[in-house]
Amino acid sequence: MRRFMINVNGKSYEVEVEEILDGVSAAPAVPLAPVPAVVSQPVPQTAPSQQSAAPAAQPKPAEQPQAAAVSPVKAGSVQVKAPMPGTILDIRMQAGDSIKKGQVVLILEAMKMENEIMAPQDGIISSIQTSKGTSVNSGDLLFTINE
Amino acid sequence: MSTEQKIREMQNKKRSLQQGGGVSRIEKQHKSGKLTARERIEKLVDPGSFAEVDSFVTHRCTEFGMEKENAPADGVIIGYATINNRPVYLYSQDFTVRGGSLGEMHAKKITKIMDMAMKMGCPILCINDSGGARIQEGIDSLSGYGEIFFRNTMASGVIPQISVILGPCAGGAVYSPALTDFIFMVDHISKMFITGPQVVQAATGEQVTEEDLGGAQTHNQVSGVAHFKYSTEEECFTGIRSLLSYLPQNNLEDTLIYNSNDDLNRLAPELNSIIPDNPNKSYDVKEVIRHIVDNGEFLEVQSLFAQNIVVGFARLNGRSIGLIANQPKVKAGALDIDASDKAARFIRFCNCFNVPIVTLTDVPAFLPGIDQEYNGIIRHGAKLLYAYSEATVPKVNVILRKAYGGAYIAMSSKHLGTDLVYAWPTAEIAVMGPEGAANIIFRKEIEKAEDPVAKRQEKIQEYRDRFTNPYAAAARGYIDDVIEPEATRPRLISALEMLQSKRETRPPKKHGNIPL
Repeated sequence: MRRFMINVNGKSYEVEVEEILDGVSAAPAVPLAPVPAVVSQPVPQTAPSQQSAAPAAQPKPAEQPQAAAVSPVKAGSVQVKAPMPGTILDIRMQAGDSIKKGQVVLILEAMKMENEIMAPQDGIISSIQTSKGTSVNSGDLLFTINE
Repeated sequence: MSTEQKIREMQNKKRSLQQGGGVSRIEKQHKSGKLTARERIEKLVDPGSFAEVDSFVTHRCTEFGMEKENAPADGVIIGYATINNRPVYLYSQDFTVRGGSLGEMHAKKITKIMDMAMKMGCPILCINDSGGARIQEGIDSLSGYGEIFFRNTMASGVIPQISVILGPCAGGAVYSPALTDFIFMVDHISKMFITGPQVVQAATGEQVTEEDLGGAQTHNQVSGVAHFKYSTEEECFTGIRSLLSYLPQNNLEDTLIYNSNDDLNRLAPELNSIIPDNPNKSYDVKEVIRHIVDNGEFLEVQSLFAQNIVVGFARLNGRSIGLIANQPKVKAGALDIDASDKAARFIRFCNCFNVPIVTLTDVPAFLPGIDQEYNGIIRHGAKLLYAYSEATVPKVNVILRKAYGGAYIAMSSKHLGTDLVYAWPTAEIAVMGPEGAANIIFRKEIEKAEDPVAKRQEKIQEYRDRFTNPYAAAARGYIDDVIEPEATRPRLISALEMLQSKRETRPPKKHGNIPL
């Protein structure tokens, strides 16, 4: 377990990070997965609920693997990432939809073009990791598919 | 020994050589889903046309007990044959003989057939299936590889060189294919890497399978090392024969002219409606290609890599052309590092071998981004400009829609020496898009306006009306003509016919210094 201090918008968060080894199935970093953060300064609304008064309460060691173990269930094995920076204009599918290779899942507006982001293979959409109107960077996870 | 006995002796020797590493090893090769070196040659070339050379050659190594080891043909079969009735030279490594490992004599055979191909001006096909250097032969193996690399370089731009990876090709051995013009790979059979998964794991801790590290999919899609991918060896051979049909025998010859049964004056009315009215919508440029070329036949090169640019061979009125086209469907057709590399190398191949270059332009820009800049889009993009400028073959460009800024210049513009530049009426040729341009040029006017939003829209429209069309460029002669989309085929055929006699000289030099 290693401890990090992270600054987000001028507020610092103290975070403990544990490396997950072979025991747990490989957990790809899922942006929306809940991060067990311990907050040393006033908490913004969006942070995981912790009493803002509590100064750097140590999380129970059990908490962390649990949180990490939950996230892989949500994410599918095939990840589709943004090919370039842009804005999500439209999402045409939702989690649970079955999909054929080449079917359009969402529209990424970039380079003044409505780019159709398609399924790379047949499967079921297991999660959509972005929302309409979001700006994404190239390499950001857009959605995942289970084979 | 009587003459008859001597003849029989020779026949027996040859028969045993045909067996390569022996029945059990051949069976093993088949079990792993692979054909043998000789079966591959048989299936690749015109039936009965193969003539073998150097079948009696064997190694002369005496280290590590090698003097007692037999290596029929020293693990590589070389010779000449015909494909589509045109001569080719080839070698095929025999994995059943000492794992196809490369020793001194094995390499000598390969360099011998390469020298012959060069002297006769015929394509060379290199079928790779080898465990690597024959370690017992030590430094002689390394010397062998070096001699092959040197010849690959000498032959580059003189004869077409085609590598076919049908087994392992690891370590230094990968650089011979890398130096050739095209690499063919087959799923689950071809493996190419500098170091295999074990070494990768020992060095970096990364775990990866052979197929993921250096299989056909990886090199066709991710690394861009390979150019063609097939699911079986037979399909792969068909692909090679098809590719050769578009190429000349060497750099001094022209490509073959086929009888085209596709009318040279054929109009393609579909092209009049292929560009969406909304400039933000995309379409498939491969459809445009299919409507233009003979019988819709297009041999795409590197179809899985950098799909924002499409390159490949086709014919117009029976003559080969090399096509380069931006693909609006992928990354908006923007030019990035991989797309620049892919197109530049293809253009240079076409120029080496007298294949006219036809470009279809619909490009919004070079792709912006930190990662593009950090990885050197400047030096990679420069290759594209260099390749187009350097090419002396007939060059024709059709601007279908967007042609903005630096990317406009890079995509076979008049300024880089393109012989004829046509534009569809849908073309938008300008320094930058209307939104960005209006913000800069009319900034003060927009700021001062009572309703800046409305003013901005008005100015954007004004800019669009004035500049985002082909006529501003045509007024300067940067566009030779604005044409009906449906007439693209006849116009291209007429242009290329006219350019047949093109002669363009360059200042004498050893070679230029392309930004690599």
